[in-house]
Amino acid sequence: MNRSIGAAAGAFLLLLSLFPSPAFPVLYIDINAPGGKRMPIAVADVAVGPGDPSLSRGIPKILSDDLALTDLFDLIPPTAHMETVTAAHFSGKPLSFPGWKMIGAEAVVVGNVSVRGDRLSIEMRLYDATQGTLLVGKRYTGTPGQLRSIVHRFANEIVYTFTGVRGVFGTEIAFTARSGRSRGKELYIVGMDGQDLRKVTDNRSFNLFPRWSADGRWLAYTSYRTGTPHVYLRNVTTGAEKEVIRFGGSKAPGGFSPDGVWLYAGVSQSGNSDIYRVRVVGGTAEKVVDGWGLEVSPSPSPDGRRIAFVSDRGGSPQVYVKTVGVAGETRISSGTNYATSPSWSPAGDRIAYTARSGGRFVIASVAPDGSGVREVASAADGDCEDPSFSPDGRSLVYTYRKRGYSALKIISTDGRRQRTLVSGLGDAGSPAWSPGR
Amino acid sequence: MKGTFSWKWAVLALSVAALVAVGCAKKQTVKSEGAPGAPEAAVTPAPPAVGEAPMKEAPPAPMAVTPATPPAAAPGVAVTEEKMSQFDDVRFDFDRSEVKEDGRKTCQAVADYLKKNPNAKLLIEGHCDERGTSEYNMALGERRATAVMTYLVSLGVPEAALSTVSFGKEKPLDPGHDEGAWAKNRRAHFVLK
Repeated sequence: MNRSIGAAAGAFLLLLSLFPSPAFPVLYIDINAPGGKRMPIAVADVAVGPGDPSLSRGIPKILSDDLALTDLFDLIPPTAHMETVTAAHFSGKPLSFPGWKMIGAEAVVVGNVSVRGDRLSIEMRLYDATQGTLLVGKRYTGTPGQLRSIVHRFANEIVYTFTGVRGVFGTEIAFTARSGRSRGKELYIVGMDGQDLRKVTDNRSFNLFPRWSADGRWLAYTSYRTGTPHVYLRNVTTGAEKEVIRFGGSKAPGGFSPDGVWLYAGVSQSGNSDIYRVRVVGGTAEKVVDGWGLEVSPSPSPDGRRIAFVSDRGGSPQVYVKTVGVAGETRISSGTNYATSPSWSPAGDRIAYTARSGGRFVIASVAPDGSGVREVASAADGDCEDPSFSPDGRSLVYTYRKRGYSALKIISTDGRRQRTLVSGLGDAGSPAWSPGR
Repeated sequence: MKGTFSWKWAVLALSVAALVAVGCAKKQTVKSEGAPGAPEAAVTPAPPAVGEAPMKEAPPAPMAVTPATPPAAAPGVAVTEEKMSQFDDVRFDFDRSEVKEDGRKTCQAVADYLKKNPNAKLLIEGHCDERGTSEYNMALGERRATAVMTYLVSLGVPEAALSTVSFGKEKPLDPGHDEGAWAKNRRAHFVLK
């Protein structure tokens, strides 16, 4: 009897945890409504216990910069704020919500930070100012060096609370660019907010085609450091490396299977490039797509069952979709004589690719069955190439080129918002957006 | 009978659980969460135990990791530099890999040299212009180099004397951005080893 009570109560609690917000937030942003209402939000100066007083403004700045990257919020400037948040607000003292409502805020973010030696502790809370209720609160601990990533995490919580879709703050983009005076190309990583740019490789050869593993810990890429191209796996944190593809001539990794078991790549043998997959732990390669044409750029679907790839078997490069291990391939690009570099959206419903249109290259997208082709990004004065989806599927990063100039740009998939992520590095290209954090 | 009795108790338990849960939900609870790569924080603060290294530094179990190759390229290897050649480049049309008439003449000169110098080894580099995707161009460069190799073999050059490498669009001969530069950059380049 006790056992059945326990089981029933347990089942109920499990249900609760499946629906973490039994009280559906009154405040909600419909991300699919074009030009929809923005949420007026105030990010208050945080209370600082022991620690650098500049954190009081520094933390809200990081958070506000994140929120401003979306088109979801109207940030109420700090000069309008009337209440000073103190540690007491985290031990029972209520916020003065009428004051926040008066300056137009429907949501308020407050924080309390302390730094003791190498230990950083932050509590962040998001309130519904109209109801005076707590929407989400989190307490984080880490090192002072992890401050930015902690604040990015709470920014993701805020976006999730209002939209039901987790934000992508703190994710990163890997790409290639010429390095200094060297004619070589090195791998770089930059935060999606354009911060924390860093060089990953430094071997003055060609380092190309970075691709993230599904857990975001590894980059696969092609390097010419020994004089001939091989594919390596690199641990992003430690820099440890392992060679994974040595056979064949030219080779370029396309993407990992979502379970992390396989790395898909285009590999040339006797001048004919086909699609292979290799186990990342080592072992023989399996041929996935065979053909007399050039088959390159495999992009696995989010469920791992299919791949999109490029083949010129029909006389010009086009994008095809294939179920792995099943005969038959379907061409999905149309209306262009040059379609390359497919990138499968995280929801699985779209495939973005580079298309030649009117003598220029543009970013197009299409459903996996070849229907609903549309242009996503183009430039009147240059080329747009190499799209890669953000983990929430709401944006694409791509390369913009105009004669000698190149930059990485980010565009929302509805085309409404666009910004430059990286410029000023020679020949920046091949961007790959990391998985969610 | 016994079953019904248990069921009533279960319903009662559920109601209690629901009340407790609703009560909890109304309280302004704050969840504790570790930073990415940081130890999960306990609800009651505990000093970070030695050995609780950030998770990021532990590689996934099944992966065997070897140390990174030394950053400098191997001695004698500077793949980014254009190597001087006594032979002309073989040029190609956009997105094509057929060896054209003037390219065949160049190949004949190369074949004659290799037949006179049977110990010579020749590397054929395949290159592309800057237009289009890097990966596709990488495979296209390999196909161009292989097309030239196949033609040289047809002229009687032993295959063992030949090897290929593609640089795709990464190593343009002419840094310009017009058809004149592109035409020079769509090429096979010969390097005697």
